[in-house]
Formats: sequence, structure tokens, C-alpha cells
Amino acid sequence: MLKREIAKRIFAKEFEACRELEKSARSSSEIVDSKSPNLLISPLGLILNRVFAVGVLTELDSIGTQNEMWKARIVDPTGAFTVYAGQYQPDASIFFSTVQVPAFIALTGKARIYEPEPGSVFISIRAEEANVVDEEIRNRWVVDTAEQTVDRLEAFSDALASGYHGETLREYLLERGISEELAEGISIALERDRAPQEFARQLSAYIREGLKALNFESEGPAGAKADQKEFVLELLKEIGGGRGVDYATFVDSAVSRGVPEEFVEEVVRSLLAGGQCYEPKIGIIRLVG
Amino acid sequence: MDKKIAPQLEELTRALGDIEKSGIRAEFDKLLAFRVPPEVAKESILRKFGGTRKVLKVKDLSTSLKNFGITGRILDIGEKAIHPQEGAQEGPSRLYTGVLADETGSVMFSSWKELPGSTGDVINIRNAYTRLWQNRIRLSIGKQSLVSIVPDSPLPQLSELSKSPAKKLIDIGAVDFSVGTTACVLQLSHREVLIRGKQSKVISGVLADETARLPFSAWVELPGIDIGSTIRIEGAQVRMFRGMPSINILSSTKVSSVGPEEAEKLAFTFESAAKDPVPLKIEEIDSRDNMFDIVAAGNVVSVRPGSGIISRCPECSRVIQKSNCRAHGKVEGVRDMRIKAVLDDGTGAMSVMFPRELAETIYGKSLEEAEQLMFSDISKDAVYEDLRRILTGRYLAVRGNASKGEYGVSFVAESAWVPEDDLAVRVVELLHRLGKDEEETDLEVSGGEIRLA
Repeated sequence: MLKREIAKRIFAKEFEACRELEKSARSSSEIVDSKSPNLLISPLGLILNRVFAVGVLTELDSIGTQNEMWKARIVDPTGAFTVYAGQYQPDASIFFSTVQVPAFIALTGKARIYEPEPGSVFISIRAEEANVVDEEIRNRWVVDTAEQTVDRLEAFSDALASGYHGETLREYLLERGISEELAEGISIALERDRAPQEFARQLSAYIREGLKALNFESEGPAGAKADQKEFVLELLKEIGGGRGVDYATFVDSAVSRGVPEEFVEEVVRSLLAGGQCYEPKIGIIRLVG
Repeated sequence: MDKKIAPQLEELTRALGDIEKSGIRAEFDKLLAFRVPPEVAKESILRKFGGTRKVLKVKDLSTSLKNFGITGRILDIGEKAIHPQEGAQEGPSRLYTGVLADETGSVMFSSWKELPGSTGDVINIRNAYTRLWQNRIRLSIGKQSLVSIVPDSPLPQLSELSKSPAKKLIDIGAVDFSVGTTACVLQLSHREVLIRGKQSKVISGVLADETARLPFSAWVELPGIDIGSTIRIEGAQVRMFRGMPSINILSSTKVSSVGPEEAEKLAFTFESAAKDPVPLKIEEIDSRDNMFDIVAAGNVVSVRPGSGIISRCPECSRVIQKSNCRAHGKVEGVRDMRIKAVLDDGTGAMSVMFPRELAETIYGKSLEEAEQLMFSDISKDAVYEDLRRILTGRYLAVRGNASKGEYGVSFVAESAWVPEDDLAVRVVELLHRLGKDEEETDLEVSGGEIRLA
């Protein structure tokens, strides 16, 4: 029985740091044959093959000469995923041939690793299916992914602190209610000689920043401020539409409707940080999606 | 030659017991006669006869397990002659069937060879496997299984094992055939059905405790029992219907009301059990064979082919291709709409079926609107493509029943909605959890790097 691989939630920062999992390293796995998927392992012990990512599509190139091949960059709060789709991914290729940059997109795909020479490793996603989504889905993905990553970070630091290794560590983690797969992943990850603490610390910092940059209407300290923020966003949609608007013109029209200039600037800054709008040219701001 | 095979034989004996007696030696020699290298021959014999030392208890059994060991007491055993179909090579053989129990439960078994024990004996089976037979799990003892008697076993005695075990609803599954439980009645309805030309009254409803809900039916009157009652059931039958267990109350079943004093000691009340179920991780759903009336949420990572407008046979409602029904031949199809999608929450993936009404809601188009799209577009997959464009990536919560099959969990949705849980609250909680590290890390990395590239 071949079961569908789960689409793991992982931030770009952790994904890029994944390395190939040798099949022999999985002691408890029963299927070690040609049909078992190529697995990667993250520095924090996540074992993965398929991923589900939601982010901003910021670059899209048609590469390859004979066959059509798309290369895309999808940005999340911690970094960027490199995505490929070629002739064997027809659904994803059709999608990339029609999508406008930038946009929020959701994507499933298989993790690929390419190591042209020792020491240089390229991790990418080979897209299976992709679609344009709205910001609400992006935000939810960030929160879901953050939650699963923080669970993993906590299990990982618990494992480090325990001082156990190998089989003992696995049993210890299982006793703490960690899933079998993660317990196995963590004990494998800890055997590899990298600096796990440093990576975990950096990743936490990225996640914290990413979460703070998320835009929720209800997040403001006062309801009135949130309303004003909403108003600025609506105004930007109205004036700019999909084409963008000159920043100075936009501030003027917002001020003329009773929003203080500093506040307009603050909102635009946070929209830029959150990936909801960007500057296609200097002085022009444009909404994503 | 002997020198070469001696270590392999030794290892086989260590792993599988007396290989001379069980005929494994003969098998090994046969492979050598075919010029299989001894090392490889050992490997394949180990694989065939259960070199893996996986030992399971009855409660761990699920469908399609292979190559495991199990120890249990024979509660019951019988034999019947199997007559092969005409023209088959082999003569008639015997099938031994019965019930095997350990302290975690009991399971029906069938064996193609005579077992060394009889009722009351404890036997150890190596290289056993499981099958789904008549909707329930059956332990199978094949020609390659090794069975031995365990003379002094600490397993409970026959009398104790044959009692129908009291279980929580979540633990009742396809291995059980008789159970007892304490639960409260969430729903109840009476209906009259025609059985063999006779009008019979049947009660059906839903039971709940703190762990799960399960449907039940009763073929006898249940005086004094109504919605809200907490009841104790002993010796009920477990029936499997479409992969879902249901508790069947028969005339031999003892049903009694639980008094208020005793009810206070239970881990649930009618109020707590009647609440809407909390969403489960798909990982958890995947770890069980079937679950009744549960909630899960995740992203639609794929809309499967076969979604969209379909035609059904007017007689049997089967999906038909090109106006041809498997059972009724050429028919005038009835149009219907459904969606099959893969829902994934990062911990697990399951296939979810949305029947027409739900499909219309989550698609945002009615069957008639979808038909117009189908007729106005050149592509024959217009509706499917439209569905994929609208649904892929979306986040949905579903409520319904889950059952596990050959390709993982399939879920039939009875309702679906977009969850409105407050992301902002979860963010605050996450920042709190992350805050346990030193705060200065913030400063180091908070450059402009995390902005849009």
C-alpha cells in the first residue's frame, strides 16, 4: 500500500537547511525499496518529501531552451522557496504560464535536492499544484506553520537538554508524547554535526519577526486605529487598483480624508513588511493580489 | 558446502526456532538446490517466515498487517471443510476458525492448518497477518505461519477473557464482536422496518462518552431510556457498516440506567458529550481505523479527478461512464455533482468526499450553473478545472465520518465551513511561547532581510 505523502508545513529558512536523509538512517522504516520516496531531513528533525507552502510569488522566469521550464521564487516571512515546474508538471506549468507577479500563491510540491559538488547544495520544490489565494489563507499558513515549527523547536530543545542520544533519546521523546516520526527525525538530526542551537535560535527570531509583521484588523491596540488602518487599505485598493499609485498622491488623498500623515506612512510600512504591497518602481506602491 | 551454510542455518534457528521440525530446513535446501547463494536464501526465508520481530497485542490489530507475532488464548475453535471450486487442482481442505483473546481484547481468527492447541490453550503465532473479512478484522494464520503452544502463560484465564469487555467508545472497532460500555444517549429515533415480510420496530440513535460518538441500534424495546439517559450496556454486538462500527443491542444484551450518584463519577455528562466535537489532527484520525462524527480542518492540497458533474444510474445511484451502468447497462443518467479533495493539515492527509449540497456551497456554484459552464466551454473538463482554480489551497473544516481503507483515510463530509478561529489570538500565544528565549536575538536578525525580496 502506497500512502499519500503528507504535505509538511515548513518555513523557507528551515526548508533551505534540509539535507538528504539516507534510507539506511531510518531504522524503523520497513519499506526500503525503490518505491519509497526520497526524503529530506531538516536541522530540527522534520522528515519530509512533499511540502505545502503559501507565500508571495515575487519572481517568475521561463528557463530552459528546448522544453518549457518555469522557475519561481515564493517568499515567506523567513526567506524564499525556489520552485521549478517543467513538462512533467503540466498542471503547475499551466498555472505559472498565466499567473501575474506578484500574487499570494499556495503550492504543493516535492522537495528536491541537487548537489553538484560537495559543499554546495541546492534545495528546491518541484511544483505539483499551485493556485492564487488570498491574504487570509497566507496568514493562516504562517500561523499554522509557526505553530508546527514551534512545537518542533520545543521538542528539539527538550531533546538537546536531555543529553540523551540514539535509541535512549527516541524512547525519551516518545514518552514525552512526541510523535514517532519526529522522535526519529530529531535523533537522526542530532547525530549530524552542525550547530543546531544556533540554527534553532535564528529560526525562532525569524518566526517572531514574521508573526509580528502579520496584518490583522483586530490586532491594533484600539478599535478606532484598526478601522483607520482598514480605511487606508481600502483607499489604496480604490485609488491604486491593480496598477499601483504614486506614493505622494496617495498620502495627499488620505490626508484630505482626515487620516494623519504619520499614520498613513505607518500603515504603508507595515503593508510593505507584511508582503501585502510592494514598490514596483521607486515612489510607486502597489497592492499584492 | 556445509561450512558455508552452517552459519546461515544457525542464524535461522536462532530467529525462527526449530527449523528442522517446521520444514524451514527443507525450504532452505530447496533454494540451495536452485543455486541461490546461502546468504540470499537466508534473507528470503527470514522475510518469508517473519524474521521481523514485531509482536502485537489484539488491540493493535488493524487491516492489512503482515508478518507479526501475537500470543493469545483460544476462546473458541471450530473447523469446516472447504470444497474448492470445480476444476481446481487441490482437493478439499479444512479451515479452522475461532476466537483468540489476550488481556487487550479478542479477535476472530482463521487458520489454514490445524492448530496445536484447543479451547483454553495459549498459543503463540509467528508470521501472522490480518485480513478484512465481512467488514471486520480477522487474524489469519497461513501455511507459512509458525504456531506453538505456550504452556505457562500469565494471560488471564478463559473465564475472565470470555467476558464481554467494557470499553470506551473510541476503542470499539472492527476487532470487537461483543462489547460493553457506559455512555449517554445523544439521539434516538424509532422506526418501523419490514424484515422478511414482518413489520419490526427498530430504535436507532447515537451514543457518546468523553472519548467519541458511535451509532447504535436496538431490536428490542428500551423502556425508560430516552435522549439524555446515561446507560450501561453489557454484551452488545458490534456491527460494521461501511467501515464504521455500530453498537447493536439484542435480546441477550443487558441494558440498565446509570443512577445519578454513579453518573457523577463518570468522566462525561450529557452536556459535555453533546457539545460539538473539537477538531482533531489528521494524524490522529489516521492512527485509527474509523471514527464517527468528528471534525478536522486543513488545506485543500488537491482536487481529485472525478470531481465535478457526474452521471448516476437512476436505478442504483452508481456513477456511470458514457451512459453505461456496471449493473444495469445502458441507462439515462441522472446528473449530480460531487467533489473529492485531499485535505492536509501538515500532520496527515485524507481524501474528503463532498456530496452535492456541500459541493455547491464550497464551490459557490449550483449544479445548474456548473452545467451551463460545462455546455458553454469547449474543454470537457471545464468544471473540474474551475473547481481546482477555486478550491486548491483553500482552508476548510469538515464534519463527518472517517474510515481507513487501502489508500489511507477517506472522509465523508456531512458539513463543511471556513473556520473563523482567531489567528490574532494564536499569534499572541505563539509569541509568548517563543519569548522564552533571550530577547536580544530579535535585534540580531531583524534587518531588512525578511522584507520582500
